[in-house]
Amino acid sequence: MSAYGEYETTLCEQKFLVEGLFDMGYTVQVYPDEGAPLIGYHGDERPERAHVIIRRAQLDSASNDIGFVRGADGRFRAILSEYDRSIGYDAQWLGKVHQHYKEKQTLAVAKAKGYIFRRREVIQTPNGPQVRLQFVAR
Amino acid sequence: MQQKMITVVIDENGNSSVDLEGFAGHGCEKVLKDFQGHDRAKVERKKAVFYSNEARTVQERLHSGGK
Repeated sequence: MSAYGEYETTLCEQKFLVEGLFDMGYTVQVYPDEGAPLIGYHGDERPERAHVIIRRAQLDSASNDIGFVRGADGRFRAILSEYDRSIGYDAQWLGKVHQHYKEKQTLAVAKAKGYIFRRREVIQTPNGPQVRLQFVAR
Repeated sequence: MQQKMITVVIDENGNSSVDLEGFAGHGCEKVLKDFQGHDRAKVERKKAVFYSNEARTVQERLHSGGK
């Protein structure tokens, strides 16, 4: 063994965010430039805008849209209503979003850099599933 | 020759760890950077083999009279 690193995932690349959300079962709408307004549970247009949006029809009947807005630093930040956080679209759900994003990003980077994919395992832990990916360098 | 193996573990919060096996010297830094992407590093460390290979390289240079 020769080196080890731990990293905090940041949602920077729209492509992997969209692919990760798709893997979680959501179809998203993407507004790359100005973003679009989020729609509230009454069908009302909310003041918040986002660049990647899960429309409320895919969520609970009383849900608002969930949005991801790209900040000036290039990072995506989630916009979640208090109601939606209370019914499970919370920090744990956001953790899953990050997990799916990171898996997509890792597989894409590995392929682009020429690493050879060996295996994928899901390890169940008391805190939730962990994804283990193995690659070989040429 | 030992295979150069990379293991990436992505936890339930989406944070990752990257473990390299079979790499020697500074080659592993590039691999860590590849897998880090835009993410913030929390921990990065070399492991025993890195240092033993570095020491061997220095010793070999000394024995051969190199700089």
